[in-house]
Formats: sequence, C-alpha cells, structure tokens
Amino acid sequence: MNDTLAGFEELSHTADLEIKVWGDDMASLFLAAADGLFHLSGIEDYEEGFSAVKETISLDAMDYEGLLILFLEELLYRLTEDYMLFSIEKLSISTNFSLKAKLRGTQIKSYQRDIKAVTYHRLNIRETDHGYEVNIVFDI
Amino acid sequence: MVSIADLKRISSYEWEIPVSYRADMRVPVRIFASETLLKDVTRDKSLEQAVNVCALPGLVGSVKVMPDMHQGYGFPIGGVAATRYPEGVISPGGIGYDINCGVRLLGSRISYQEGKSYLEELATALNQFCPSGVGIGGHHRLTSRDVEDVCRKGSRWAKENGFATDQDLRRTEDGGQLQGADPRFLSPRALKRGMGQVGSLGAGNHFIEIDLVSKVFDQKAARAMGLYEGDLALQIHCGSRGLGHQVCSDYVKSLQSAVIKYGIELPDRELVCAPMDSPEGEAYLAAMACAANYAFANRQVLSHYAREAFESVLAGRVKDWHLHLVYDVAHNIGKIETHQIDGNSMEVCVHRKGATRAFGPGLEELPSEYKKIGQPVLVPGSMGTSSWVLRGTSEAMARSFGSSCHGAGRVMSRTQAKKTIRGEDLLKALKKDGITIRAGSMAGLAEEAPAAYKDVDEVVETVTRAGITAKVAQLKPLVVIKG
Repeated sequence: MNDTLAGFEELSHTADLEIKVWGDDMASLFLAAADGLFHLSGIEDYEEGFSAVKETISLDAMDYEGLLILFLEELLYRLTEDYMLFSIEKLSISTNFSLKAKLRGTQIKSYQRDIKAVTYHRLNIRETDHGYEVNIVFDI
Repeated sequence: MVSIADLKRISSYEWEIPVSYRADMRVPVRIFASETLLKDVTRDKSLEQAVNVCALPGLVGSVKVMPDMHQGYGFPIGGVAATRYPEGVISPGGIGYDINCGVRLLGSRISYQEGKSYLEELATALNQFCPSGVGIGGHHRLTSRDVEDVCRKGSRWAKENGFATDQDLRRTEDGGQLQGADPRFLSPRALKRGMGQVGSLGAGNHFIEIDLVSKVFDQKAARAMGLYEGDLALQIHCGSRGLGHQVCSDYVKSLQSAVIKYGIELPDRELVCAPMDSPEGEAYLAAMACAANYAFANRQVLSHYAREAFESVLAGRVKDWHLHLVYDVAHNIGKIETHQIDGNSMEVCVHRKGATRAFGPGLEELPSEYKKIGQPVLVPGSMGTSSWVLRGTSEAMARSFGSSCHGAGRVMSRTQAKKTIRGEDLLKALKKDGITIRAGSMAGLAEEAPAAYKDVDEVVETVTRAGITAKVAQLKPLVVIKG
C-alpha cells in the first residue's frame, strides 16, 4: 500500500516499540499497520513475487481495535513460526467487526527482530478529518 | 503526567502518590527511588502507568514501583501489585508477555587468574553450545506431549532428562515447578510454539554472561552462596520464549470480554483481568503456571549446555571447572503468597512485572542453606556494567511484598540508542574495557548499550538504603553472549 493517505511512523518508547498509523479508511489503516509490523520485524532477503502461497483469512472481534490485534497477531504468528511474509491482495472489513483478506505469501530466510506481542496498551482507533489513526505498542 | 510535586515524601528513598491523585485509584502508589532516579522516571509515562494499576479490583496495601522502573505497556516495568486471593483479580498484562522471564546465577571455584587465558575460548564455546538469536530454537524438537510435560513439571522435567541436579531444583524459585499448571488451558498455537524452543536464549535483552566476583560485601551470605572474590561466575537471563508470549496474548484477548462480564472498569485495556476464583481467572492461572514452568526448564537446559561448554574448554586445564547454581529468580510473574497486611496474615497474588522476589530470612519457601541469610536476589546490570547479588530482608516482607528491583532499567528509547550509538563503536569500547562480546546483530547491540540504561549501582544503592535488600557481592562482566 503506497498510498500517501495511509502510512506509519515509528515513535519513541523507552523499552518497547510504538508506531502511529493512519489511513483514509479502516482497510487502509489495517494495511498500513501490517506494513509497520513488517518494517519493525526487519525483514530482508526474501524472494520477490509473492506467488508461492495463496491464502484467505477470516477474523471476527468485538470491536475494530480487537480486530486489528487479531489481524496483526495472525501476520506475526505466520512470520515467526512459518517464516511467511504476506502481501495483502484484498482486504474487507465490515461494520460488525469481521475481516476477510486474500493473501499471497512468500517464504523469508530471516528477520531481524523478535516482536513478542501486539499490545492493547492505549489502543484506540480515532476518527480524523482524513480517515482514521491509531497508535500501536509492540512488546519486544 | 505525574510530576514530582504530586508526590509525598515518605523518606529519602520512598515516595507516595496518594489515592487523592485520581478518582479511580483504590490504593496509593509507593515508589522506591532516590531523588536523582525520580527525575528520570518523570520523563516517561511509568508513574502514570502505576496510577492506572491502582484501579484493579481487590488490591491490598499499595502498588509498589522499584527504582529501575520505566514505561512499559499496561503495568510499568518495575511494578509490584498484590490482590487478595481468591476474590481479587489477576491481570496477564501485569505479568507480561515473557512469563517468568528471569535470571540465574551460577558460581564457580575457577579463579580469574586460572580462567583469564581461556575467556575467548569460553565465549566461542558458550555461543556454540547455547543456541541464541532471533528466530533460533533449541537443539531438540519436542512433541506436543513433551511440551505438555515440560509445562507440568518445569525444572523437574529437566532433571528427568539429565539436565539438572537435585541442588539445581532446590535453588530455583518454587523448586522450578509452579503448582497448578494445566496444559489443557494452553492454545494449540502456544503448544506448537513451545516445541522447538526449550534450551534457547532468544534475542533482545536476553544474555549469557561470564562475570568476575569483583567485590564481596557480606562474607557470610556470599559463603552460603558459594561465591568468592576473584572467582568466575555465570549469569543466564531469558524466559518462556514463544510459548509464554502466546499464553499472554491469548489471555489478554480472551479477558477483554471477562472485564465486561464482571463489570470491571479500567483505564487501559492492556490491564484486563479476571477474579482468580472465576473460570477465566482460574484458566489464566493454570496457563501462566505452564509458561512459568517452561521458562524454568529453559534456563535449566541452558545451564546444562553452559556446563558442557565450560567442561569442553576447561577440563584438564583448571582444577575445578564446575558451575553450581546459586539461585534462579523470576522477574515477570504472578505468585500466590502469604503476606502480613495491616497486621493480618493474608493470601494474595503478587504481580511482579520487572521486579524480583526478595524473601527475607526464615521463610519456609527458601532452601535450608538460605534460610538464615534470606533469598539471593539477582540484579543484572546493563551490558558492560556491574551486576549485583543481593539478599532479601525482613523489611522487604513488611514494605514491598517481599520484592526488590530486577535490573538497571531503560532510560533511552531503542530508536534513540540506535541513532546515537553505533554497534561497532560500542563493541570496540567494550573490548577496550576487557569485555568479550558475541552478538547476533550490531543494531541489536546498540539498542542494549549501557548508555540506554540507568546506573545500576544507583538503583542498587536505593534498594539497599530503602532496606528492602542488602548487598552481598558485585559482579563485573568479562564475556557477554547476546542473541
């Protein structure tokens, strides 16, 4: 997602990692958060193409924040357990807090940083003039 | 933000945030800090986070914060909170994602004079024998059934498989086996993540370090621990790896609905909790004990590998190359303990998030050799600085739920550390100080630079002057292995 209306930036946190993420709609916010996660994991050295593995995921939560955590945790789990990096081809989020995504994965050889978890700490998706933004703290 | 003006001075080393500070506080906050260290903590959100913790139902006494405190997520790092058992709550975020992250210290009778010419070889051997680094697992892959066994038995599993002695178990908090562990409360993902990681260090701030016992402050206590000035010692710092992270993630998620069910209002969703006598609370307690036991076993297996590394280098070259366990402490954990609250004996769950148990003399939980002196408390410094061996006191039982500090505590963010410090320069500077480093990555090394941490000596000075621990020995690093 290279849309300038969506993105993330790393903020200063004493011990852990924090990013601020923004997007013009909920789906682009989630995609930018995924980019942020992969950036913080320090992924280098992967095969281009994202053609090897096709998957779909469906997730349900009580609210958008819960859904964002589920989504990022899913990507993080597959990264650390299976060394799979995903490109998200299609993402839809419904107002009853369910998510469907079509993914294309590629095997990575290594990543630079172990992220222990995506936390709920002060997690609050805010509506802005341009869409949505959220701060996410990762435990490392 | 909490400012120094909001604090009530109890003594030069103890401060209070009174319940009047914010309406949702059920108990006050007690901070153990010198004036210098206080200034550090008002720069980040650690005190605000300590105030948030005061909203948990069932708290007793006050929420304590240790002088190595810094901003975390939910609880501040260095936070200690006790809730009445069983009707009070347990909060997974108050224990953390690395359940039973902890430290162990092994002593030796290898003098520095005898060992100094082998330090490079020992660094290489430790690096080879003890798996470390991002995404690196242990030497053996376990079945799911084996992982369940590790979770039930902890260090006892290690002993049954030839990785531990009876003395190792006796000198581990809770004998290396927390009661109540039930793997039925682990998710399939938690079990899967546990299959490949027993006996692995991981990365981040985890390390293995060879130290010199540079100064002994309490001869009697040091002798009981088998520590002698001028001899080598070894520290291992790590936790429950992916299995523990998954347990915490699973329960922080599932308890989001429990707080609604039990009508608990909290200032931060990371603090979600459940009464310990509820099905949700019981499930987390059983799962947390599994992860804690996994961590005990992990550090024990790593100790076995470290012993093999020492033997491979030193056998036949020095008189006695054996490493004996001094003690193993947990610093991210929830424990059901009995404490005196307002003159009454009460069972409580003590959440220690970046704080170490520091039981005073006479407690039945201590092995016989430490009953007279109090529990060994291990305080690792930042890379390249001193570490400390302390002992618990009766004062700690009265004032901090038998707890003390767990390390130096960060002051600089990782991003700032990487900007201001180059890993290669740090490596050179440490080498100049006579410290051998084996590190998985240069960027990772820079993030853990001593300048990113508080002065551990001042932290230790604070907890000793506050009376909640007493000095036994100072350790100087010689070899550091980082993932």
